[in-house]
Amino acid sequence: MSIYESSVKKPIMTSLCFMAIALFGLFSLSKLPIDLLPDIETNTIMVFTYYNGASAEDIENNVTRPLENTLNSTEHLKHITSNSRENVSVITLEFEFGYDIDDLTNDVRDKLDMVASALPDDANTPIIFKFSTDMIPIMMISVKAEESQAALYKILDDNIVNPLARIEGVGTVSISGAPEREINIYMDPVKMEAYGISIETVSGIIGAENRNIPGGTFDIGSNTYSLRVEGEFDTPQEMLNLVVGSRNGANVYLRDVARIVDNVQERSQRTFTDGQQGALIIVQKQTGGNSVAIANAIREELPTLQKRLPSDVKMDIIVDTSENIVQTVNTLTETIRDALIFVVLVVFLFLGRWRATVIVAITIPFSLIASFIYLFATGGSINMISLSCLSIAIGSVVDDAIVVLENITTHIERGSSPYNAAVHGTNEVGTSVMASTLTMFAVFFPLTMVTGMSGVLFKQLGWMMCIIMLISLVASLTLTPMMCAKMLKLQKKQSKLFIKIYTPIQKGLDSIDNGYAKLINYAVRHRWIVLIACFSLFLISLLCAKGIKSEFFPANDSARASATIELPVGTRVERTQDVALQLTNIWKERYGDDMRACNFTVGQADENNTFASLRDNGSHIISFNMSFVPSDQRDLSLDMICDQMRADVKRFPEIARSNITSGQGGGMGGQSSATFEIYGYDFAETDRIAQELASKLRENSMFTQVTISRSDYQPEYQVEFDREKLAMHGLNLSTAATYMRNRYNGALATYYREDGDEYDVKVRYEPTSRQSIEDIENILIYTPSGKSVRIKELGKVVQDDTPPTIERKDRERIVTVDGVLAAGAVLSDGVEYGEAAIDNMDIPLGISVQVAGSYEDQQDSNRDLGQLGGIILVLVFIVMASQFESLTYPFILMFSVVFAVSGVLLALFITGENLNIMSMLGGIMLIGMVVKNGIVLIDYIMLLRERGLGIIQSCIGAGKSRLRPVLMTTLTTILGMIPMAISQGVGAEMWRPLGVAVIGGLTISTLMTLIYVPAMYCVFAGNGIKIRRKNLKKQRELAAYWSEHKHEEQLKGKDVNVKR
Amino acid sequence: MKSIFITFDISHKEEIITMLEHNNCRGFSFFDQMQGRGSKTGDPHYGSHAWPSMCGSIITIVDDQKVDNILKEIKRIDEATPQLGLRAFVWDIEKSY
Repeated sequence: MSIYESSVKKPIMTSLCFMAIALFGLFSLSKLPIDLLPDIETNTIMVFTYYNGASAEDIENNVTRPLENTLNSTEHLKHITSNSRENVSVITLEFEFGYDIDDLTNDVRDKLDMVASALPDDANTPIIFKFSTDMIPIMMISVKAEESQAALYKILDDNIVNPLARIEGVGTVSISGAPEREINIYMDPVKMEAYGISIETVSGIIGAENRNIPGGTFDIGSNTYSLRVEGEFDTPQEMLNLVVGSRNGANVYLRDVARIVDNVQERSQRTFTDGQQGALIIVQKQTGGNSVAIANAIREELPTLQKRLPSDVKMDIIVDTSENIVQTVNTLTETIRDALIFVVLVVFLFLGRWRATVIVAITIPFSLIASFIYLFATGGSINMISLSCLSIAIGSVVDDAIVVLENITTHIERGSSPYNAAVHGTNEVGTSVMASTLTMFAVFFPLTMVTGMSGVLFKQLGWMMCIIMLISLVASLTLTPMMCAKMLKLQKKQSKLFIKIYTPIQKGLDSIDNGYAKLINYAVRHRWIVLIACFSLFLISLLCAKGIKSEFFPANDSARASATIELPVGTRVERTQDVALQLTNIWKERYGDDMRACNFTVGQADENNTFASLRDNGSHIISFNMSFVPSDQRDLSLDMICDQMRADVKRFPEIARSNITSGQGGGMGGQSSATFEIYGYDFAETDRIAQELASKLRENSMFTQVTISRSDYQPEYQVEFDREKLAMHGLNLSTAATYMRNRYNGALATYYREDGDEYDVKVRYEPTSRQSIEDIENILIYTPSGKSVRIKELGKVVQDDTPPTIERKDRERIVTVDGVLAAGAVLSDGVEYGEAAIDNMDIPLGISVQVAGSYEDQQDSNRDLGQLGGIILVLVFIVMASQFESLTYPFILMFSVVFAVSGVLLALFITGENLNIMSMLGGIMLIGMVVKNGIVLIDYIMLLRERGLGIIQSCIGAGKSRLRPVLMTTLTTILGMIPMAISQGVGAEMWRPLGVAVIGGLTISTLMTLIYVPAMYCVFAGNGIKIRRKNLKKQRELAAYWSEHKHEEQLKGKDVNVKR
Repeated sequence: MKSIFITFDISHKEEIITMLEHNNCRGFSFFDQMQGRGSKTGDPHYGSHAWPSMCGSIITIVDDQKVDNILKEIKRIDEATPQLGLRAFVWDIEKSY
């Protein structure tokens, strides 16, 4: 008993099986996390090697090179880049996608072990660090404070950070911009000199005084007591009364030579939100955490936490990555809903029966829900790709059900009982339904094998589509016939209302049928005209290709922007802050309600701030974090805003470098940029070329921002000690250098304890005595013999520039010039312009310039997609050829793909969308959808010819009979995509190109297929008949000749034998 | 005793068997999935790509008086659904075991 027969016979089993699938699916759905994109596997490993005291060039030669040479042989390595800075070498290994990062880490560790002995003795052991997307903060909370500013760190640490860190899934919570408390002991150099006291003495004494020392235990009578000395200070001011020396028999107290300031760290980051000082709380999630759930939990917690804070401290969420995710997902959910409504309407219009509509429509939820089980089982998430996939699938899952239902209806109309009609009707079309699903598999299954960046997007989509198609196939062969048997019946009388509504529709459909029959009649009789017209349209559409711009990935408006603005190296933090406040005011005023929050941080980061240490920081650097209202609530796109901001920044002459990034920066969805890599050893030459290229790029308005990766030489002062003089005074270099460090950077005397927290106590010179070169020169150093000597007697203070960071890629020195394209400009043009500029430059031997970055990614993915397209075409051909057992008919159908290409090109050209990875994905999906229409048509033409009709009559008859199913399946797909193509919601810009491409390609190719396939079929079938007739004629003539000359021929044969 | 050879579109199967039972014909032989074609108008039933439907046939041996009634019933069914195809042929049974 066949599967359809048993399912029709056992309606309870069939329906309950599907209910079970739906139940599983809904359960999985409730467990699925929500994210923006599928998990992007980590493919980057960093190796840090510290070698204190080495300059950038030393690091490059002694650490980076040996490491690079060894690590370069690691398997699956794509690129190796390195940064050699003072004291540290950072090597970044980028691997091919799709390999287990843990295995790769082990490989890297093995290689490091091999090379360890070749490293300098003083270099530390290399540290391996895996970078992952989880390090991107998921939420930033700005804090504004007034009076509480000084104590903000402690307030936030106690009341906010700890409770937040306890929330499930939260990784690290760090505070930036709120300096920690520090007890500063400021010494007066003049008084110190007068009393002969050094900082080292003071710091030693303070350290020795601030102690609690246990004295053991002792017995008194029958009791045992412990003995202790409690010497720790209760208040910082107590230290003023310490005796730090003696002069002429009198005690010298600390208060005589110093003052104590119980304040915050001297050098720290300051954070301003909307112009008001405060702090920033940064929340990072644990690996695999669910951003949306964590963000919701934090949002819930915040009002409670706010109550614990002093009244002047106000918290506000300025960045919440989950917001964009939730909005994007909502927009897509709306798209799916609209698509569902459209599809059901189309089915109703064409079938004209509500029962049939219900039967067809019910396969949609079952197939879609089933895909959630896959997502749940493989640890996937609800994201842009999986939801777009559902939206794409809605139109195609009904196709199989429609074919089955249509045939069952035909049987019922011929007089079969619904039960028999269901069994036999399904039996008849079962194979062709399977074949057409197989073509869809041929399209989507190869998608699961894509690697690289595009693989991240396509893998999930491929699997989901395959599963959805499989379930819809099973549903159409079991559920649909079962429901037909139960619900359909021969409609003997229609209700009046129905007749009134449906008659005009029926008339319209009939006239389309008749019109098409006429058209086909013309087409098959004037084949060559039709074919020439079709192919000339294809050639015309190719001309449109010139007007279509290409990019890698559509820019996603995430309503966030960040900026790193650098003033000349060495600018004081106050000056930097001033510029930042001016910029904030300009932007706050211009964007008003569109801008939700504008936060910036200036200053040098503390070494134990994880988040801040990942980014560049320094007294001259401003990091902006801006958030805007969602894209559907503002007129200006994020890219335009960023472009305007870049123009503002250009107006500040004091700004040396700036980098404004839309979106989260890094990864997909930001503004695209053309990256040029200049390889070469000579600093001066590569610098010159980089500058020249950058200035050429800046001339073009296409680029809004051009940055050069190599940073400026850093000015600094160096104390050059004369070793002979040092030796004369019995000193060595490190003693002298420590003296200098203690006076400027401060000596850590001890920790002051209060309420379970420890604070640094630092001893150093008064700030006023640390402001000139003379101050450095006048530092007193005490020799072992007790004599004092000034630094200027031991050496000299000179100004110098340290070389910049040395960057290398694939074991060669490199400078990158990065040009961010303005809104509306496209990558291909930018790269073309840059390449032209490079051609005109005089590039010396040994230096090469290459295009990289997103253009490289784009080229890679184009190549991947090209290969994929090829494989898919071959697979589809194989499926069709086996179904028709012919090589010519699939060949005819493959040509309809050509028209899909022209449809895609025309649609992109008219709507002004760019050719990118999403529209190309649309193009690939079209292959399956387009040939499906052709299959239906050719299949029926062949059927009619087998029934004995002539070629032309078969074409006309098939066209007339198959027009509706073709139109119906095409319309369901097209209308299913329309919400995607016209959606204006948050994130819509990502999938709009996909929708546009599919709609354009499918519309044109279906219209062309309907005319071209019959015409082309006639050509081939006509030729086939001619050839057959010729062969028959030849055989007949041969046979006639044989019967006439049989005797002679046989004799000839005998002669031959005799001669032998 | 007469033999009735009924040949029909396969979707008639249940209906015919029910009809025979109504006429107290217990015994019959059923041939499933047969190919065939009507003499005048009937569509071929080949189970092929072009003609996907199939025939079925029943031979039943009944008492003479039942024959007319059965033929009448068969005619009624056929006329209700002329596109499916249903015919019956009767001949004598000379001997039986």
